Amino acid sequence: MNVEQLKSRFKGHYDFMVAEKFLDEQFSQLQQLQDESTPDFAFEVVSLFFEDCQKIFHDLDRALEQPMVDFKTVDNNVHTLKGSSSSIGAARVTHVCIAFRSFCDEHNLEGCLRSMQELKRETALVKNQFEILFKLEQQLLAAGGSITLPVKPSPQSNDHPWFM
Amino acid sequence: MGSQGRRCSDRLCCFSLSMNENTIPRGRRRMFHKEVKEEEFSYANTNCLSSYYSVFVARLAIMVMLAILIGMLTVLTWHFTKSYTTKSINTLAYGLRYELLQRPILRMWNILNSTVEITQAQVKLSEFVIRQYDSPVMQAAHLECYEVMRNVTWALFASRRALNAITIRYKNGVVQAFHRDHRSNYTFYIYSELVNSSVLSDQGWGQQHHNSAVWYRESLDPITGETRGNPKPIPPDDLINIAGISEVPDGAASWHVKVSKFTDSPSLSAALPVKDSPNGSIVAVVGVTTALYSVGQLMKELVEFHSGYMYLTTQEGYVIATSTNAPLLRNLSSGPKLMAAVDSEDRIIRLGAKWLEKACGNHSSLKHETHAENVRLGHQKYYIDSFFLNLKRLPLVGVIIIPRKYVMGKVDQRALTTLVILISASICILIIGCVCILILTSGVSKEMKLRAELISHLDARRRAEASSNYKSQFLANMSHELRTPMAAVIGLLDILICDDCLSNEQYATVTQIRKCSTALLRLLNNILDISKVSIFGKFKSGKRRCFLKVESGKLVLEKAEFDLGRELEGLVDMFSVQCINHNVEIVLDLSDDMPKLVLGDSARVVQIFANLISNSLKFTSSGHIILRGWCERFNTTTYSEKLPLDQKDSQSLPRTKSKQQENNSKRTLKKENKIIIWFEVEDTGCGIDPSKWEAVFESFEQADPSTTRTHGGTGLGLCIVRTLVNKMGGEIKVVEKDGPGTLMQLSLVFNTPGDGAGQNEEKEFTKHSLMVALSADLVLLALNGRMSRSIMSQWLRKGGVCTREVSEWNELTQILQDVFPESKSGVEIETNGVLRNEVLYSQNLVTSNFVIIVDIGLLDLSTSIWKEQLKFLDKYHGKAKFAWVLNHDTCNAVKMELRKNGHLLMVNKPLYKAKLVQILDAVVKERNLVLQRKGVNASRTSTVERDLHESLEIDPFHYDAVSSDDSDASDGRSLHLNGSAVVGERRMKNSATRCNGLNNGLVELSRTVGLTGKSLNPENQYRKTAVNNGNLLHHSDGGKISALSESRCGSSVISQHQRVNNDLMDPNHIDTNRLVSRQKSLEGLCILLAEDTPVLQRVATIMLEKMGAMVVVVGDGQQAVEALKCPLDAECRKRALYPEDGEVMSHMQIQEFPAFHLILMDCQMPRMDGYEATKAIRKLEEGTGFHIPIVALTAHAMSSDEAKCLEVGMDAYLTKPIDCKLMMSTILSLTKGVV
Repeated sequence: MNVEQLKSRFKGHYDFMVAEKFLDEQFSQLQQLQDESTPDFAFEVVSLFFEDCQKIFHDLDRALEQPMVDFKTVDNNVHTLKGSSSSIGAARVTHVCIAFRSFCDEHNLEGCLRSMQELKRETALVKNQFEILFKLEQQLLAAGGSITLPVKPSPQSNDHPWFM
Repeated sequence: MGSQGRRCSDRLCCFSLSMNENTIPRGRRRMFHKEVKEEEFSYANTNCLSSYYSVFVARLAIMVMLAILIGMLTVLTWHFTKSYTTKSINTLAYGLRYELLQRPILRMWNILNSTVEITQAQVKLSEFVIRQYDSPVMQAAHLECYEVMRNVTWALFASRRALNAITIRYKNGVVQAFHRDHRSNYTFYIYSELVNSSVLSDQGWGQQHHNSAVWYRESLDPITGETRGNPKPIPPDDLINIAGISEVPDGAASWHVKVSKFTDSPSLSAALPVKDSPNGSIVAVVGVTTALYSVGQLMKELVEFHSGYMYLTTQEGYVIATSTNAPLLRNLSSGPKLMAAVDSEDRIIRLGAKWLEKACGNHSSLKHETHAENVRLGHQKYYIDSFFLNLKRLPLVGVIIIPRKYVMGKVDQRALTTLVILISASICILIIGCVCILILTSGVSKEMKLRAELISHLDARRRAEASSNYKSQFLANMSHELRTPMAAVIGLLDILICDDCLSNEQYATVTQIRKCSTALLRLLNNILDISKVSIFGKFKSGKRRCFLKVESGKLVLEKAEFDLGRELEGLVDMFSVQCINHNVEIVLDLSDDMPKLVLGDSARVVQIFANLISNSLKFTSSGHIILRGWCERFNTTTYSEKLPLDQKDSQSLPRTKSKQQENNSKRTLKKENKIIIWFEVEDTGCGIDPSKWEAVFESFEQADPSTTRTHGGTGLGLCIVRTLVNKMGGEIKVVEKDGPGTLMQLSLVFNTPGDGAGQNEEKEFTKHSLMVALSADLVLLALNGRMSRSIMSQWLRKGGVCTREVSEWNELTQILQDVFPESKSGVEIETNGVLRNEVLYSQNLVTSNFVIIVDIGLLDLSTSIWKEQLKFLDKYHGKAKFAWVLNHDTCNAVKMELRKNGHLLMVNKPLYKAKLVQILDAVVKERNLVLQRKGVNASRTSTVERDLHESLEIDPFHYDAVSSDDSDASDGRSLHLNGSAVVGERRMKNSATRCNGLNNGLVELSRTVGLTGKSLNPENQYRKTAVNNGNLLHHSDGGKISALSESRCGSSVISQHQRVNNDLMDPNHIDTNRLVSRQKSLEGLCILLAEDTPVLQRVATIMLEKMGAMVVVVGDGQQAVEALKCPLDAECRKRALYPEDGEVMSHMQIQEFPAFHLILMDCQMPRMDGYEATKAIRKLEEGTGFHIPIVALTAHAMSSDEAKCLEVGMDAYLTKPIDCKLMMSTILSLTKGVV
């Protein structure tokens, strides 16, 4: 495969991820931060995120198994996860986290458990997607191509901060 | 009973169930909350009723139970105490009765026995005596025999004192008898004298009886038996019953109960025959009579002691002996007879006998013993027992009647008292128990009532909370749902804008759409913000004020850099279409001293003016709306310098000065680069009644309520405006105005970013250079709108540019003809483009410049006259520079025609200063180009010029396209264009030399002389300038040139991250550009990052490092405080910082105090969260005078969190995900004093 094909595949996959809301513009910011001095930055951060996820999931599972669920702990964990996921741009995970937290506020155990499942599913999904993306990226780099940042000047960030 | 009990327990079950229902399964119910909401509501009502009911039932049930229990206890106690005693006493009593009765019977038996013995003895003796004297022939022997018999009999009689009588009757009828009267204590001997001598003859007993016998009675001495008197003859058998032969016909003994008239008690008599030999004939009959008196005596004694009654009857029922004194005999005419028991004179005995008779039925059954208890005789109860003494000849029945009282009296009494006591005690207990139950259950029921109430309240509260939650959720969702498609629209438009193959018209349209979309998005955001806002009035110091209260906290204003002028121009552009449709002229009049960039919340500012303008527009049907703005400076250092300029600039605005004096008191604030900007929104609408000037700012108020019908609206607009204005530190009011309409004046306080002095000069320069360039020119403003025309001309005149105003076509032609009298010749020359150009150039050399700005509205577009008019203007094309002001709806044909005719300068309405400057810029530039080209190469001109025109034509649209954030694009461009001026060239050199000596950053100035537009290499257009504070040194340098360099440098500082890029099409360029500019922006800053999540640590670190900052990462708040402590501590100052955990330290340098310029603090961290850490840090800083800026990092997206952050002492607030740009601008704004 030549560079162009790889490039288009990479871009195609990225677009797919964005379209499916796996990613949002935050990831492109991460990509931008990647340069010669930190070539694997995005990969590193995403890996960090998934490691973090494992730990948080473990904590969450344990917290939710308790006979008396401490919703504050759960909430804190989910909050952390929300921060991390939004930082790497995993929008769907972030979204689930938001729902999860609202359940925590209501002390709705059933909802929490449901959210927990959803969270795991979404994380697994996005992990797969990321793996594909990074594989493509590596192939592309190996083939001698460079990652053109598939960044559009995101209109929303121009006008309003989204999370205000 | 059983069924009742079951029902009871059922009720109790229900009751306990209902209680459980009430208290326990709250959590479970919550799950079904949504489904059963309605039911729950009604359930709450029935709940109360059922609980009352169940309480009632429970009370009743408990009481009944108690009653039953106590009743049973009572009965059992009574029963056991009574029955056992009764039984044992009964047994005892039976024994007693038996014993009692046995004794008289025994006595009776004794009597009988003794009687029999006596009789037997007498018989034996008689036999013996008679056998001895058995010589029947001898009379003497008979007499002797009688004598012996008398003595023997006396001996027997005397030995037995209990005997009543002993009689012997011989076969021959001779009778010998002894009789004893117990009452008179007399003893008699009774005998009969025989008439015939045949004493012992065998004659029949009956014939000889009484025939001739004479009876005698002798009184005897009872002890000796001596005869004391003479025998007296008595009638036979008068005194005693003499046993006769008839009584013993079969030779067996016979028994009789006899009654004699001499005794009042019956007596017992026995008779036995005396036989001459065994189995011989009977020779005599012996009879013994015993009184039964002693039996009665015994009975009396017994009864006396034991009470009760006794009597003894024969089998036939005749009473033999009784314990009473009742007579036993009754005197009949035939002599005394025994009395039957049923006829007894004693009442009890009579009744008892009757009862016995009734109970036993007949006499024969008397043989059975009866034992009866509780027989009621008369008024009392008795025990009746009868015993049967079965003697062969004389069966006897003994009856004892003992009153129950005697045996059981005490027991009965005790039992009764016990019963009474038990009953009364149990009744007492029952009553007390019931009362207790009542009290207890009333407590319980009260508690239950309260609990039910509490539960219903909780339910209500939860429902309310849920609904408010839903509301918030809904809002959040809505905002997301609405914004997402808008974002998509805008994004797509951006793509479309980037497309190369758009025609200019299409491009313009798309740009317009883009702009409107942005506005719509902004509007959406505002609406959503406002919908979150509840407005309420509050009295404060007598003045009513409105507050905006965001549901989850305070309304927090953003603090970001933005171009105020640009925002307002965009706003006016946006409203212009509407205004033109309303036939209202909208004018923007901003004074030149307005700062270019300010720090504030652009969205809110735009919201304010959008509200005000739309409000004005609503009430203005004709005329104009003017938005004026001017600046009032706080900065005292520049104040004196600025004053003359201000005065000069704001001739039309004399208020400024007075305001300045007014604001002297606010000088304290002026240190911090604050400026007050005043605005006026004036319209020529219906106006507001002065009495309502204050009221219109209140919520839901409109000056005239009827306007709601005609104009619509909620009346919230002005209230929101005022709240926002107050929030921004300004005020708004309605002021007096000449003529109809409303004039609103408001002030807003902004911070100026960085070096606030710079931009103004730049603008000044732009203007001045223009003015200088145009000083020889005449600008003809041929505009429809009176206000904008006059304002523009005033402004130009002030700048030293000659202007003339025309308002209609005829006037224009007039002036044109006046100015160009030789035009006719010019027309003839113009045959082709090239020629024309030649002419133009030649003319340019000669004549002064003439710029004509024509409103398209001057042309008569309704008919085809406009083409003629254009042709007319064409004549002057070479002599004057035309710029066209188009309407938004100017049709393409007109534009095409204009372009065809070489009119390439076009702007859209409304015309404001920026656009005017742009037009004039273009004119000047073109002229410079021409001037320059004149000496270079004439042959290239046409093509280059074509290019130039192209670019100029596009300019306005580009200009429109840029939003506030990339506002500097056009700014850079305009500067760039300016650069082509001669003056600009000088300036470049100057600033380059000066800056190079001072700047440590990269100063790259573009060489733009002679090269413009697209022909330039875009790279050359960037200015990556990091300017240090040294630039300020130039400040005091007077003169144009130094001011120039200063202004340029200043603008570079502020617009570090801006895109100085003319070419919007290439996003890569933008990004690289952005990156490049970003790279240096945080140079020299040392930032402490407190963040626990590794992902965020990494991201933030890289981001900051890319921007040139040094980053120290700590894992939690505790470490952050520790890390800060060291440098704060003077001794530790020189020491290098190494956080305990050995966290990443990128480039830690020992720095001058303070070591860190800024802290990025995650709010939620283990061990010590961001809030606590901030508090701790602020506490550490107390007294030191230092204040390290702390920026909160949080994933919370609510503004309440921001309020919380700020409350604990943080300076700014960033949300996750971190927006690079936002973070940078925040950091810069907080650290500008340091770099």
